[in-house]
Formats: sequence, structure tokens, C-alpha cells
Amino acid sequence: MPKLYSGSELLLESLSRQKVEVLFGLPGGAVLPLYDALYSAGIRHLLVRHEQAAAFAADGYARVTGKPGVCLGTSGPGATNLITGLTSALMDSIPVVALTGQVPLSLMGKDAFQEADTIGISLPSTKQSFLVRSAAEVPSVIQKAFKAAVSGRPGPVLVDLPKSVLMENAEANYPPIAGPELPERVREWTDDDVERAVDMILESRRAVLYAGGGVITANASDELRELADLTHIPLTTTLMGLGCFPSRHPLSLGMLGMHGAYATNMAICQCDLLIAVGARFDDRVTGRLDSFAPNAKKIHLDVDPSEVNKNVRVDLALVGDAKETLRALLAALKRRNATPPTERQQWLQRIEAWRSEHPLTYDKYANNVKPQFVIETLSQYASDDAIVAVDVGQHQMWGAQFWNFTRPRAWLSSSGLGSMGYGFPAAMGAQMAFPDRQVIAIVGDGGFQMTLNDLATVVQYRVPVKIAIINNRALGMVRQWQEIFFEKRYCDTDLDFAPDFVKLAEAYGIRGARVEHRTDVADAVQDFLSDREPRLIDFWVDPAENVYPIVPPGASLAEMVVEPPRVLVEEEALDDLWAV
Amino acid sequence: MQWLLTLETNNDMISVCRLMNIFRRKNLKITTLAMTARPSAFSLMSVVESAEADLDHLFNFLRRIEGVQHVTCYRHESFRNASFVFIDSEEDNSGVAQVLKAFPESKLIFASHGKYLLEIPVEKRRSPALAGSRDPAFLPFACVKTTRSATHPELARVQA
Repeated sequence: MPKLYSGSELLLESLSRQKVEVLFGLPGGAVLPLYDALYSAGIRHLLVRHEQAAAFAADGYARVTGKPGVCLGTSGPGATNLITGLTSALMDSIPVVALTGQVPLSLMGKDAFQEADTIGISLPSTKQSFLVRSAAEVPSVIQKAFKAAVSGRPGPVLVDLPKSVLMENAEANYPPIAGPELPERVREWTDDDVERAVDMILESRRAVLYAGGGVITANASDELRELADLTHIPLTTTLMGLGCFPSRHPLSLGMLGMHGAYATNMAICQCDLLIAVGARFDDRVTGRLDSFAPNAKKIHLDVDPSEVNKNVRVDLALVGDAKETLRALLAALKRRNATPPTERQQWLQRIEAWRSEHPLTYDKYANNVKPQFVIETLSQYASDDAIVAVDVGQHQMWGAQFWNFTRPRAWLSSSGLGSMGYGFPAAMGAQMAFPDRQVIAIVGDGGFQMTLNDLATVVQYRVPVKIAIINNRALGMVRQWQEIFFEKRYCDTDLDFAPDFVKLAEAYGIRGARVEHRTDVADAVQDFLSDREPRLIDFWVDPAENVYPIVPPGASLAEMVVEPPRVLVEEEALDDLWAV
Repeated sequence: MQWLLTLETNNDMISVCRLMNIFRRKNLKITTLAMTARPSAFSLMSVVESAEADLDHLFNFLRRIEGVQHVTCYRHESFRNASFVFIDSEEDNSGVAQVLKAFPESKLIFASHGKYLLEIPVEKRRSPALAGSRDPAFLPFACVKTTRSATHPELARVQA
């Protein structure tokens, strides 16, 4: 008689075969059989304090490793609480596998206790959703789920597991796999397409490379850098692409779009060829569509055919894996033995002139703590291989503008969905993947209040995440929009009523500190980063500081506002007085 | 612009639910929708309205959805340029009989609940008989995109 295993045991063994190291989850009634099996299994489980943190942590784990992160929730509210994190992962193409408990099959559709239509709710938030109907099919469904999560354009997958399935016994029948699922990616271009792309590159005088998260997903940073170096084409990245190209590379233009640098957006406006790699021309990048790179021919490299011509019509699409496609382009360029046209040097000089005209900067002599200065200082003292996770809002944009990016898979940001509360749990997930690397969560005081309950988690498991709060006592980005676009009618963006974060940290057993003076920032940052313990630091930054440049909504990149309106003379005089 | 989409999914109802959700989200106006189930697959045929500029994206979006096995997209054409005829006969099958009589070699691509998609033989496409089918229940289409490698896509041959 063959040995029988419970659905829970089959599930955990299937996860082991996918080389899953850690689960982020929170137990409940429907998943009790699974937690019972977990009691004696070899997979680590991190008990979060809210399922949303589990999904964000799994996302953070996936971004830094490239492997699917796994989160787990019970039926009903456990599952619905995962949805925001899954939607964020979908928007950013991050491989996450969510396991949700479900009421027993016999109770499904009967409005049982903690029953929710998890599959129905998950449809627009996942790449694929599975309902497992028998224990015997658990191994094959898990394999399909992991394969779907990483293949093509990666994304989140949900597996709904009725309690009866977790308890049911079945024979173990695992599909043959040697290890974790490897991604399968289509290739729809031909050699002729590649030659055409090379022609376009060689004919262009004012080309720009525009790289997105797809470069990081495909582990194609080296190829991208080689292409830039070979062709002398300057390169800008999206928020998702940050880290795929070193910030201090001479050809780096930093981030483009709504809060892109002046030189970067001007380069986009005046380029004659735009080569998009793993980017999706989203509205925060393009501004007004009809004036986006108006004079440029466009080449689009993307693994997802549905991104081609979705927002911007392109002249040539190369659908396929970014690494493979870039390698083909490089090989074709080298075969032609072509040198960059001399005009490209003039193009780089023009960009440099724009950069000198309007550099990304801030008032470095201000008496108060400028948030950009905090970011720069954190970046300066962080380890070379530090991972930084940001939340959403002004600090996220300052992070994008002022962090010194040196490597891929070290910048975590809920970019497409823009989900506040992401930064801290994502950092926790990243730290679980790389216990020995420095992981810094840079969060706003608004976003942090959405997921700070997981301070308990980092203390319980000694996860040494460093939490830096850029505290402007406001929902800063919303307040900025109210200031600029709604005539300073500040409605409910004031967060003056907030906890004392230092005391709060101490209540959880974490060392906390507050910094209120510019002169204290450097020492405080060095101390903050000096140990291997979870730490919190609360930077009281200038609440009036706004993110510039800014492209007003509906405007073209050329219409960006590069700096704040000039302050009143009286205020300037006051500043001078303080400076003395 | 009017389009006809035929889709084949795996036999998981979740895939069909996902498709319906996508139709809604992508703002497709559904004029006609028919669906059939077989043990191993679901087949859908829908006449929809959507801007021509959105078609590329829509086709590519649908074809990369997990669980979708085939997508074919047909553009509403004049009878002169059509190679497929969609017939919505409701309870009156005389229209189908009329086409089948005029073109006995025509191929049934899809049939469900009185809705038929027929491929007209190449040599008969400019036939006066077809051009004369002015009944509003007859809609002529040309195949513009398909995930099938064969020149002429063929979906489920199912019971009418």
C-alpha cells in the first residue's frame, strides 16, 4: 500500500522542491492543517502582524533574489489582506506566489465563516489563480504556479487551498523537476529585426536608452551597460529600472519623467532615437503622450508583446527576453565594427550643458534638515552592497534622485501601484533573503504608520532592518499637489498628530533616535548603520520641501517646473539671518 | 470599429472569468458573446467594438494570458473583402442554410446557440451570392491576427 500524505505535507514538500526558503504568513482557521505540518517541516516561517506585510515581504524577497517570494494567509480576511501586495507585484512584474486557505470544499459558496471568493477577488491582481480541488493535484498545481510566476513577464500567482484539501490524504506524485522553475520567455524577433535596430542605432545622432524594470528581471544590466559603452548612448531609467546602470557612470541620466532631472527630460524631448528596454512608457514617464519624444524613432525591447504600441507607437519592436535581445544587438553591432557617429559626442555635450544649467540639487546651506541631504548621507555611509527599500511619496522620489545606485536588485519600490506601507515590510523580506547585507527602509511618516505593526516581527526574529523615517509631519506628496495644483487648500494631509516614533520603537524593543538638526545628520547616520540590530531613526525634515523638477499632470516633459517659485524676500532675509 | 474575437482557453473556468474581466477592463463593448464548453477547453466567440488603434494591444494582451490557448481576431469588412461570415440566426437557421447551400464547401469555425462563424472557400469569396447577403444578421469579417500557425484558423467544431 503506497504511503499517503496530507495535502499540507504535499504542499510543503512541493515548496521545498521549488527551493523555497522562507514563508511570510499569518495563521488562521482554514490554514491550521498547513501550520500543523509546518511545525515539523524544514521551511522557515516569518510570522507577520498583518497579511499585507506578508505580501510586501514576499515581493521584497523576490526583487532581491529574482526567485518567487511566498506569502501565506488564511481564508477570507487573510486572503483579502494580501490583495494590495499582489496588485503591487503585478504592476511591477514581481514573481510572488500567494497561498491562501479556503473553507472546505463542501462549504464553498455557502457563505461560510471566513469565506471569501478569493479566486474572484484575485483575478485582476494576479497573473494566474488556481483553486486546488484535491490533495493529489497539489504538487502539479504548485509546479504550475511557480512556473507561471517566473515565466514570460513575471508576476504574482495565487493558489487557493480549501481546508479539506489540506487535510485530505493522497499519494505523493511530484512532477519531475531538478530545482526551482526556470523562466520561459518567448522570442518573437528575427535576425533581420536586429539588423534593422542596428541600422537605426548607427543612423541616429541623438539617441537615448530608456531602461526599465525588465532589465533587472532579465539580469541584463551587464549587457545594457555594454551597449551604452559601445555606442556612447546616454541612458535613463524608470523608477523600476534604478540600479540597472550605475548612477555615476558618465552616460547615466538618472530617472526620467514626472520627477526626472531637467537634462534627462530635455534629452527625451530632443532625441532622434529612443531605445526602450524592459520599460512600458507609463504615464509618469511620458507626460502628455503626443509630445513624448516627438522627434524620435522608437525601438521597444520587451518580453511582453502586449506592451508594444500600448501607450506609444514604436517603429520597431523586439519582443523577447531583454538579456538575449541585447546580446543579439551587441553581436550585430560588433559584426558591423561600427563606431559611434561623431555627432554623438556633441549630443553628450549638449546634455551636459543642460545638466549644468539645472542640476538636481537643493539648498545645501539650509539651517533645517533637508530630506535630500538625509538621503545623500544615508547613501554615502551605506555599505557598497546595501539594499534600500522605499515607501511611496516624496521621500521615494528624493531617493530615486539622490541615492547613489551601483547595482541591480538593491532598490525596492512599489512603483506602479505606489502602495504606501510597502517599504518597511519589503525591507524585511529582503533581509530574510540576505541576512548579512545591510538593508535600509527609507519611509515617510505617513506610509510607515500603515505597516509599523511589523516592528514586532523584526524584533521577534532579530531581522536587522534599518528604518529611516523622513518625517515631514504630512502626507507630503499629496500636500505638495494641494500646494501647487489646488491653491494651497490643504485638506487632511497634515500628520502632526502622530506617535513619537522613538518611543514607539523603544516600546517594541528597538533603539530609536530623532534628528532635528542638519549638523547631527552625518553622525546619527553613522551610528544608525553601525550595528547589526534593527534600528529606527526619525529625521525631522523641512516640511515645506517639495520634489522638483515636476511635470504637471497632463503636461509634456518639456513643460516641467524645474524649481520652486522664488520665496518672499522677507523669508530669504530670515534664512540669511539663520545662516549667520 | 467592429471586431470578432475567437478564443480558446484551457478547461479551467477561472480562465474564462479572467477573460470576461479583461473585456470589461479594456473597455470592450460586447455586441455578441457565445461560449461553448468541451471536456478539455472553453471556446468563446464575441463581436466587440473597440478603436482600431487598440487592437494590437488587445490581441497581444489576450494571447499572453495564462490559460488562453488561442486567439484569433477578425476585422469587420465589406463582403467583397471578407473571407469569413458571422451569422446570428437566433432561432431561425435559414440564414445558415442559405450560406451552406450557396457554399457547400464552407468550413464551420464556430457554432453556438444560433451564432455561426463560417469560412468561405477562397475561390468563392467574391461570389455574387455572398455579396448579396445583405441581411443584418450576416456580418462579413477578415482574419487579421491569429496565434494559430495555420493560415486559416480553426476553433472548436462544436454542436450548433
